[in-house]
Amino acid sequence: MERTVTVVPEAGLHARPASKLVQAVNRFDADVSIGRAEDGDDGLVRADSMLSVSGLNVGHGESVRVVTEGPDAADALDAVCDLLTSEVEGNGDAESGRDGTDGGDPE
Amino acid sequence: MRTLTGVGSTPLAGVGTARWYRPEADLTLPDRPDPSAVDADAELARFEDARDEAREAIRNARDRAAERVGEEEAAVFDAHEGFLDDPELVGDVEEAIRDGTPAEHAVRDRFAAAIEQFEDLDGRMAERADDLRDVRDRLLRVLLDADALVDLGDLPDGTVLLAERLTPSDTAALDPDAVAGIATVAGGRTAHAAIIARSLSIPAVVGVGESLRDVEDGDDLLVDGEAGRVVVDPDAETREGAGGNEAPVIAERVATADGRSVEVAANVGSEAELAPAADRGADGIGLFRTEFLFLDREAPPTEDEQYEAVNTALSAFPDDRVVVRTLDVGGDKRVPYLDLPTEPNPFLGRRGIRLSLDEHRDLFETQLRALLRAAASEGDGEGLAVMVPLVSRIEEVEAAAEAVESVAADLAAEGVDHAVPELGAMIETPAGVFLADALAERLDFLSVGTNDLAQYVMAADRENDGVADYHDPLHPAVLRAIDHATSAAAGTDAWVGMCGEMAGDPALTELLVGLGLDELSMSAVTVPAVKERVTEIDSAEARALADEALACETRSEVLDVLGLDRG
Repeated sequence: MERTVTVVPEAGLHARPASKLVQAVNRFDADVSIGRAEDGDDGLVRADSMLSVSGLNVGHGESVRVVTEGPDAADALDAVCDLLTSEVEGNGDAESGRDGTDGGDPE
Repeated sequence: MRTLTGVGSTPLAGVGTARWYRPEADLTLPDRPDPSAVDADAELARFEDARDEAREAIRNARDRAAERVGEEEAAVFDAHEGFLDDPELVGDVEEAIRDGTPAEHAVRDRFAAAIEQFEDLDGRMAERADDLRDVRDRLLRVLLDADALVDLGDLPDGTVLLAERLTPSDTAALDPDAVAGIATVAGGRTAHAAIIARSLSIPAVVGVGESLRDVEDGDDLLVDGEAGRVVVDPDAETREGAGGNEAPVIAERVATADGRSVEVAANVGSEAELAPAADRGADGIGLFRTEFLFLDREAPPTEDEQYEAVNTALSAFPDDRVVVRTLDVGGDKRVPYLDLPTEPNPFLGRRGIRLSLDEHRDLFETQLRALLRAAASEGDGEGLAVMVPLVSRIEEVEAAAEAVESVAADLAAEGVDHAVPELGAMIETPAGVFLADALAERLDFLSVGTNDLAQYVMAADRENDGVADYHDPLHPAVLRAIDHATSAAAGTDAWVGMCGEMAGDPALTELLVGLGLDELSMSAVTVPAVKERVTEIDSAEARALADEALACETRSEVLDVLGLDRG
């Protein structure tokens, strides 16, 4: 099964969104691949790999193709497309990353 | 006994046993054997074991970072674990091993390719390359049985940690009870790691330079963050004389010996720093940096998120004022999702209030909404103050005040609880200094940011080691600028504070009180010493001292007047 969606998260598919996506994919009994729509089959990479997903460097507003196979193909497709088309939830808690204690230099 | 000098970063002293942290060291691989000589099954098992050990180390580091510095700081380790379990990476390494490559060579080769892939992407992806390096080094250390595997969170008591430099996550992992001090070859006071060390109250001297490398594991060391020195084999007298016997915490407000009250507040850059600031007796927050809410994430924080953060700060200081600085990015502080332009002179570019009033007006208004709502949680808004950074024109504070009014009107129309907090400006530019009278007429307060002020008065980039001598808040020109601002505000209702680093130096407290500052805000760790110092001061004597310093023409004359020996 497959679907093409436009990436909604402001940040595109970078660190946190990528790891959320990988975690989601791992919950299903399905092979999921993902790539830029314009790159066709050649651009597809496995969606259970942080390296591959974040390495795509897909930005907000880009068209992404999701292909799933296997027993949970339909559910996996829905879940992945949901993640790609909704703003990242819980933007607040663990989202803000490594320099949490450094709000910049002292004045 | 041998003394090395550096930059005192946390003004405390500690004595202990030197231990080098060399994350890069001893990861040299042995020569690659002939593939036929490699026992692939044994190598696969080693790789599997190394992953298990690295995973445990990552989880421990994550737990410690979450506990000591906060959940936000800890999140970086999730990405590390993601890479450790990445099927592509792991699969490729295993394949190479099956083809006769020893585990360590397979790890090095495959990670090198992945790191290169990220380095070729745009700037924000460089952090992923750092994550990969971190994971690679953990694996290699286990595989090579490298003794450099220093568990930063489990150092023996009395360790003085030495390093080329420390990353923020390294520093966040440290146990402040075990670490007697930190000294680094490179880095400055304003480096991330230095700021975290201060928030953890670990004595620290940074930027010692090459001479630090002569110190060996096991040497007796004194780290004196007050004097900015590292003493090897200190004698008893030196140990005794080292600064850093922490002043007692004074919970109540303080006044000079003759009764002039001086507020001593804390600079805070994350929620994790609120409790330590309160514990050290800070009279509120004199600078709440909101950037931590914006940096190193993928999209701006929501209004509710900012509201919660400010509310948390207000709750930590229910009887005191919290001064929140509106978003201060640009210059050296980059925010990837804001798409800030690359400028030839970023410190003279679109920074601070300039961005807030123009292309990032939306962020500014969202922040103001959060602030006005939070102000209402303290009743009439008295507990909160809002200050805008890098003011250089009257129009900017007028526009900021109008924005506050318009946001208040919107909230009223929506029936949302809100209150209007005090509004103030940071005095950081020479223009701000010369307009201080007009600013003080229009605003509730001014706050002198001495690091940037010294940079702009002296025309010296504070990140540029080549002109570090010029960047000096004790230069008479900077002192006269501070005096100009306090004098200009003296006839108005506006109070004047200082939130730059010099405010936290107890050796300068008398001078600053003499210059007429009503409030001093600093790293929490120096609050007790500054409070203690205030109580010893006679304000007439302080004024005389300030006048004497203002009459000086050179830095060395100022140092003479203050009786300081700072090279």
